[in-house]
Amino acid sequence: MTSLTVALSKGKLLPGTEALFRRCGLPFPDGDSRRLVVAAGELRFLFVKDADVPTYVEYGVADCGVAGRDVLLESGSDVLEPLDLGFGRCRLALAAPARAGFSPDRVSTARVATKYPRVTTGYFLGRGLAVEVVKLAGSVEIAPGLGLADCIVDVVETGRTLLENGLEVIETVAESSARLIVNRASYHARHPELQALLAQLRGATA
Amino acid sequence: MNGTHRLAQIPPGVQCFVGDEARRRRRVEETVVRVFEGWDYEEIIPPLFDYADVFAGEALAPKTYSFIGRDGSVLALRPDFTSLLAKIAAGRLRERATPLRLYYSGEVVRFEPPKAGRQSELHQMGLEHLGGDALGADAEVLAISAECLTAAGARDWVLALGHVGVFNGLVEGADLDAARLELLRERVEAKDPAGVRDALADCGLRREAAAAVERLTTLAGTPQVLLDAAPVFAFSAAATAALRELRAVVDTLAAAGLGERLAVDLGEVRGLDYYTGLVFRVFAPGLGFEVGGGGRYDGLLARFGRPLPAVGFMLGLDRLAVLLERQGTLAAAPAPAAETVAGPDLGHSLRLARERRASGARVRFGPGGTR
Repeated sequence: MTSLTVALSKGKLLPGTEALFRRCGLPFPDGDSRRLVVAAGELRFLFVKDADVPTYVEYGVADCGVAGRDVLLESGSDVLEPLDLGFGRCRLALAAPARAGFSPDRVSTARVATKYPRVTTGYFLGRGLAVEVVKLAGSVEIAPGLGLADCIVDVVETGRTLLENGLEVIETVAESSARLIVNRASYHARHPELQALLAQLRGATA
Repeated sequence: MNGTHRLAQIPPGVQCFVGDEARRRRRVEETVVRVFEGWDYEEIIPPLFDYADVFAGEALAPKTYSFIGRDGSVLALRPDFTSLLAKIAAGRLRERATPLRLYYSGEVVRFEPPKAGRQSELHQMGLEHLGGDALGADAEVLAISAECLTAAGARDWVLALGHVGVFNGLVEGADLDAARLELLRERVEAKDPAGVRDALADCGLRREAAAAVERLTTLAGTPQVLLDAAPVFAFSAAATAALRELRAVVDTLAAAGLGERLAVDLGEVRGLDYYTGLVFRVFAPGLGFEVGGGGRYDGLLARFGRPLPAVGFMLGLDRLAVLLERQGTLAAAPAPAAETVAGPDLGHSLRLARERRASGARVRFGPGGTR
């Protein structure tokens, strides 16, 4: 049997993931390698962009991976999410200029700047509100101040970035944390190995 | 976009197979169809389109290509075969004695993003067993799907079995509206215990029932799972009955020599809204997606006026071909060499070519092209 393949993001979840794997006594690649495919112990690791982790796992190129719930929601990937790893906690929130009295139900169509167009569209339409999503790749917080949008949907951790840009949280759209995700076919076709990995991780997050 | 442009461009969702690829696909299809025939199933070639109402169902409706017919009726390109076969079994084949054993092989059209060899137009090969004894029919259909995979050359595949009666039994009496139920189902399908807990918050489900629903996310693996599950579901007569049915299927298949190929997945609750009992999916290493699947749908035929218990399954030809290719078991299928028949006298050469054809040769007529 080939080794299990684990897809990890090179982004903000990496330190938490490495700490967790080491705490569990699981293999983890050493050093600051620039290689994107690395074998360590009985595991093989893929290092990819965080938004791509669900894709690699859904297609079964990786048997499992670690992804933020926010990224998972946005990807719409059909993967298993058996374990909340507990770190990387944040929330996706709707934020607007502070003290401006913005409320999504007071405008005919809300203009929303976001890196999460799918989540944003679903959230607004699901509540019967019209929405115009302005998709951005970053620096979303500056959009309302510059007149590009009325409000934003973005990840909020401490709220400091919002404050610095004169924004306040109006509503929480979704809570997020790091999840272990598993491919559906691998779950059955590689069941014993994956269960062993799950049990080790579960022990360390309980 | 102008007209000339469209003559070169292809619409998203379509694909075409040429030469070796087409022959390999055809060979896989022939292998599977031979297995269906071997189990004495009768082929049905249903129409390409029918009234859209035939395909009613929340799961398929948003993926269906429907259009208005000349007489103003709403028609749809078939998004699946099962509804059509049910309609035919209840209509044209109304007088036939049961059980009916029917199979099909052909394209369905679904609006779906392409994934793992599947485009909007996808080729399904499947069968339906209508009006038979439930346990016998379930076991037969699973044994046939197993034989199809083996005959096609797939390796290390697994049949993952579940039963919708487990989930349905557990949430009986819960105060869940359609949206919450959908969310709950989706979280069980994702094997996300925390998500299940959230979805069940304040829905009035008894504590042991809520705990049992959460356990569905981990009750998957070898058939041993059935034994682990029994005490968890003991409080629910419906869930226990479903478990007993599933266990009878598993025991029958194990006695028939297929035990090694079985997995049990009690969190298998997704699927078309018409399943009523056994549900299963085929997984294999090399393809991240299911190769096929099926289940029992005892309510569907009543819609067409002939209530009959039924079970069926299908394999996706596109998925199966990709799987075999990845597993390295899909042999190349080069065209056999042809003999060239040519000469200055066209009529004489054509006569020769016809004679060679009559004796079964593969003939290329004429001096060939510019190649």
